[in-house]
Amino acid sequence: MHSAGGFIVLVAVMVLALTAHPASAQNKAGGLVKNDGLTKHDDLAVGRQMLAEDNPGELWVERGRRLFHEKRGAKNASLEKCDLGLGPGVVKGVFAQLPRYFADTNKVQDLESRLLTCMVELQGFKREEIIRNRFGTLDRDSDMEALVSYIGAQSNGMRMDVRLTHAQEREMYKAGEYLFYRRNGPLDFACVTCHGDSGKRIRLQELPNMTKAEEMREIIATGWPAYRGTHSTVRTMQHRLYDCFWQMRLPDLGFASDLSVAITTYLNHSANGGVIKLPGVRR
Amino acid sequence: MTKKLLLLIVLPVAWFVGCATFPDAQSTADRAEHMVREAHTITGPDLNRRTVQDASQQACSAVGGAKLTQQQAAVIVKAARDNIQYPTSGKLAGDWKIGARLIADGRGQRIINGKVEALKENGALCINCHAMDRQEVNAGNLGPALIGYGAQRGNDEAVARYTYERIYNAWAFMPCSNMPRLGANGFLTPEQIAHVVAYLIDPQSPVNKLQ
Repeated sequence: MHSAGGFIVLVAVMVLALTAHPASAQNKAGGLVKNDGLTKHDDLAVGRQMLAEDNPGELWVERGRRLFHEKRGAKNASLEKCDLGLGPGVVKGVFAQLPRYFADTNKVQDLESRLLTCMVELQGFKREEIIRNRFGTLDRDSDMEALVSYIGAQSNGMRMDVRLTHAQEREMYKAGEYLFYRRNGPLDFACVTCHGDSGKRIRLQELPNMTKAEEMREIIATGWPAYRGTHSTVRTMQHRLYDCFWQMRLPDLGFASDLSVAITTYLNHSANGGVIKLPGVRR
Repeated sequence: MTKKLLLLIVLPVAWFVGCATFPDAQSTADRAEHMVREAHTITGPDLNRRTVQDASQQACSAVGGAKLTQQQAAVIVKAARDNIQYPTSGKLAGDWKIGARLIADGRGQRIINGKVEALKENGALCINCHAMDRQEVNAGNLGPALIGYGAQRGNDEAVARYTYERIYNAWAFMPCSNMPRLGANGFLTPEQIAHVVAYLIDPQSPVNKLQ
């Protein structure tokens, strides 16, 4: 990013602020977390709060806005005819209702897999090329991450509203629920192993309880796409799932695979009613 | 009259078909299992085998959390008990200092871009989920805190054996526990587990230094 230098300065200032006045900073939980009997100051929560107030993800939103309207690809077309569920070119409110069924592909699609369809069909990009660049690196920004940031942000202030009106949507939802509880791999993990209880952590990383609607409304509606401080880029839900599969010691999760869309359908539906504020900010 | 009767039959049926009906459990399972088989295209069959469930994993995967009957639980416990392997040396408690390195190592067997990470040995992953050394803040809480484990239980042969078996296959004691079957799944070797046992029960280990 051309503004990376400015951002590094911003982070440096925040780190200084944290070390200089740890006691004066406050988060929602009063800046304190309990750690097995020891109480310590939650610097991470304070940092998240400070980042959220000046979210670097806004840079991805603006880049995504430009990419959406720009004529690109072999067919020299913009994405203005892309139907994300509410008609060609409509971006406002689409995130709230995804994943959903699309008649042209006869599939339930999440935001990423739907964008993939549009970029291939309307713009003439190669599917493999988009998938190769699905996750940005320090050297190369991902168009997918920018577009998801832009489109996600166009539902801000609206509530999650995954409707399951089509039979295939209900099939995806039930498959996602089944998969959430499916234990496998050399560590016997399912999603629920780490996300079935409140107040749990792996090391210091807090884990949302995904069986609790209240936590889901918060985590999904303000979750992915999110700017990840440790990755210096925006990550999407597809990346979050990929990362979980990696930690679970499972094989690489296929981008836009039905399995990934099924889990997202289940999780997003369980967040219905949550007020959207994207992109989020995560560690 | 017949028209009315017909409506009485047709309307509820139309409502039932048209409304939000979810697929039954078997077709959901078939569909989801198909998705699992299709989801991993970078890796080959040898790594994709990791997604195939054994009978115990299947029994522990019920939606909403497994509610096992006594008989189902007994089957899982028996399968777990039947395959516990011990170190060839016969020593169930190894070197707690090697254990100290293993318990803090969260790596091993992760796959990225079709390849398994190259390591001499897997980490034991313990403090990802358990507090063990009260001086170590960077510990998770998915599992119970084990601070003072040996100080509370002692370090005789029976404690060493119980601890070893519990790590080797947690489901031999608590079927469907969140804890991975680290030995039974081949993630840790019997010798590595013995080092972790020593870390838990040795009086010199930080686990048992309570002051």
